[in-house]
Amino acid sequence: MDELDILKQNWKKQEEDLPRLSYDQIYKMLWKKSSSIVKWIFVISILELLLSTLLSIGLADAEYWAEMEQIHLKNFTIGLYIVSYSVTFYFIYRFYRNYRKISATDDAATLMRNILKTRRTVKTYIAFVLISSGLTAVIIAVFTLRNHQMFATAEDTSKYAFDMLDWVKLVVGGLVILGAFLCALWLFYKLIYGILLRRLRANYRELKKLEV
Amino acid sequence: MKKELEHQFVSNLEKHQNIVHKICRMYTNDQDSHNDLFQEITIQLWKAYPKFRGDAKFSTWMYRVALNTAITLYRKSKRDIKTQNYDEVSFKIKAHDYDDETEQQLKLMYKAVKELNDIDKALVFLYLEDQSYRDISETLGITEVNARVKMNRIKKALKSIINP
Repeated sequence: MDELDILKQNWKKQEEDLPRLSYDQIYKMLWKKSSSIVKWIFVISILELLLSTLLSIGLADAEYWAEMEQIHLKNFTIGLYIVSYSVTFYFIYRFYRNYRKISATDDAATLMRNILKTRRTVKTYIAFVLISSGLTAVIIAVFTLRNHQMFATAEDTSKYAFDMLDWVKLVVGGLVILGAFLCALWLFYKLIYGILLRRLRANYRELKKLEV
Repeated sequence: MKKELEHQFVSNLEKHQNIVHKICRMYTNDQDSHNDLFQEITIQLWKAYPKFRGDAKFSTWMYRVALNTAITLYRKSKRDIKTQNYDEVSFKIKAHDYDDETEQQLKLMYKAVKELNDIDKALVFLYLEDQSYRDISETLGITEVNARVKMNRIKKALKSIINP
């Protein structure tokens, strides 16, 4: 007889020793709060979406617009905002759709895939906001400097005289700072979701391994 | 209507609660965690209950939702200490049912099963519950062939534990 068959026989006997809950005990459980990771993912994702939407859209006040006009970037900024709003709505829609797809009645692999997909939507959105904000900042800095150069009086032209190397330094410096900031954020992300999704990822990998 | 649904659900779960208890035994190591997981599975089953259609068996549907909760949705509220209270919830073997050697083998096998990863545990659990490979593959979302291959590997591994 197979080793596992001995186990199977004994398995049936386990039932005698199992705890037994009453109707009332089970009924009470229906109203308890769930501690499922999906709930946590939902709360954190909504917070992230809100924060980054505020960051990309809420920071522009009248002063900001006046400044943009001064450095001839008003049309560019309007265009940027149209793109930004559209992308934000698109991501919120995608997030909502993916989130609605998560169902405990799916098979294990589909459930895991849908949870990871929902997370990926938020992650991509955050990356979009950060990279586009960084690039916008660099573009604005370049335009501000050029604007100062154009309107500078004779005595301080030397102060604003930028040669090619200075421009390269400015852009490279900006990108390095942006890169460092993104790295720090990425590490922070790894930490939070490492804790929350480590087990899920490991199990998903395990299931995928079976498919090879 | 709601009351009726609640009553129907709780009665069904009360009748089939053994399935949930067995999953809790498989995936937790102390009584508190067992109760915690039981509660989370109950909540998830209740949340999914409106989607349950009478065409499937309640128990078959339960395996899926309960295992999904244990493997994927459940967030352990505290660290599970493997050795502590192990006997309190671990599988029982009645000494008078078996000779010494078989009893020892069973103990070793249960220990080995408890040490498997979450997915392999689910496979073994469904196998022990007499589920067909078709049902196992549908519950886990893998192909039937892969479920068989994996199960054979686990069987071999268990064999080598008992007969090193």
